[in-house]
Amino acid sequence: MALLELKGVSRHFGGVRAVDGLDLAVEPGQVFGLIGPNGSGKSTTVNLVAGLFPLTAGAIAFEGRSLEALPTHLRLQAGIARTFQNIRLFGQLSVWQNLWVAQNSPEDRARHGFLARWLGGQSGARDEILPLLEFSGLAHKRDELASNLSFGEQRRLELARAMATRPKLLLLDEPAAGMNSEEVGQLRERILSLRGRGVTILLVEHVMELVMGVTDRIAVLNFGQKIAEGTPAEIQADPAVRKAYLGGEAA
Amino acid sequence: MLADLVQNTLDGLAAGASYALLAVGFTLVFGVLRRVNLSYGPAIMLGCYAATFVHLHYGAGLLALAAICVLASVAAGAYVERLCFAPHGKGSAIAAMVASFALWMQLEEVAMLALPRHLYPFPPLYEGGPLAFAGFTVRVEALVMLAAAVTVCALLWGILYRTRFGVAARAMIDSPVAAELAGINVPRISMGVFALASAIGGLAGFLISASVEQVTPMLGMWSTLKGLLAMMLGGLGSLPGAVIGALVLGLVEAHSQWFLGPQLRDFIAFLLLFILLAVGPRWIRSRHG
Repeated sequence: MALLELKGVSRHFGGVRAVDGLDLAVEPGQVFGLIGPNGSGKSTTVNLVAGLFPLTAGAIAFEGRSLEALPTHLRLQAGIARTFQNIRLFGQLSVWQNLWVAQNSPEDRARHGFLARWLGGQSGARDEILPLLEFSGLAHKRDELASNLSFGEQRRLELARAMATRPKLLLLDEPAAGMNSEEVGQLRERILSLRGRGVTILLVEHVMELVMGVTDRIAVLNFGQKIAEGTPAEIQADPAVRKAYLGGEAA
Repeated sequence: MLADLVQNTLDGLAAGASYALLAVGFTLVFGVLRRVNLSYGPAIMLGCYAATFVHLHYGAGLLALAAICVLASVAAGAYVERLCFAPHGKGSAIAAMVASFALWMQLEEVAMLALPRHLYPFPPLYEGGPLAFAGFTVRVEALVMLAAAVTVCALLWGILYRTRFGVAARAMIDSPVAAELAGINVPRISMGVFALASAIGGLAGFLISASVEQVTPMLGMWSTLKGLLAMMLGGLGSLPGAVIGALVLGLVEAHSQWFLGPQLRDFIAFLLLFILLAVGPRWIRSRHG
């Protein structure tokens, strides 16, 4: 059974069909790439899965259950986390607090009582946060305000914050935007390391070097519709994909 | 002359302490939820009316009355939150504010139905006279108010910076959307912040009513006005700013009342706000903008 399944998903903004009749199936453990020219509906798809706005038509199922009635913060408890195309950290909180406040998984809830969880101090959560700090290479910056971090560090913190929610499915919306090739290489290692831990990833990305290097399967969107799907090798050889990209650039 | 200045300053700080409690509650809702709650004062007034009602009909000690003030203010505040703020999502701050004005009228009506006379006595906080030293006088009530303001600010700082609830509330200031996507139950935290603000307001209402030993329906408007004014003087949405704004407001009122007369007192406070908004330091104006 697919972990995430989209059936006939559409989202229209006024007359604009941002996503139009999209079918996708992401299998557990996969890194699934979602690519396409600007405005093809990739970010809208991620937002629909995250629950930022309702579907115009269609259905999204996660672990076989419909997500329709689930508000955003409960989708996270179900196991869906995301990062943003433009970074949205909690700038006035420290690096450590950014991770602390995101620990809302059912396991985290079960571990501490309600009062201890919300009114207790920060000491109880230390064990779970340290590995995340090390994973993202931010251990030495744990008390720094998030707004004082460099761009690359903020991106890493955002990924760590998404991981702090213990997701089964991680939605990455252009995680490599603005990165140099060395940073893209590090990001690639991190994504592969997450995949090794069994996290399923839906990756929206323009940087082909990253997409082709980490994904198991790729779907290509154009004008809100899927024009191709397959392995990275199949996608690179697909004439419809070449046309969409080259046509997009020529226009 | 100098003696007047010193005495006015003492009186001003005493009034400022009560404004500080009001302003901190008001600012908490504005700073975290980005909402102007005009019903903030009327909810406090309703809390004080509930305490007065119990006092008149059943009699109760001061501590019990304080608890009733706080609890009834929280209940009234929760009612306002459910009706005005919970249903209006992002981007409808104006609708929520207008709705909170409608509830203001409703809360006043409820209070006046329960206790129809304009003025009711409230038991005094302290029976004895003011303390005198070196020719100056300070009311014991003022010292209690000051101690309460300091304690509340310290507790609030602890909650906002040391507990997960407070950190989540501050995360919501930075980005409500990201907070939701980090699994923070934004409606529940909002409700908690609202309840906390109402509790602080209820405490302020109790201390103020017990200091002036009376309650009137005007307490509602008065509390909203002083809280709003102090918050704006301190730069919108900053808690330390609200405390400073409250003390400045108290001092300005005390001095202008003494030197210019009670008729000009409120005028001077509003004039100061106007000047600050028009030509004040950039950081204050940018917060308002």
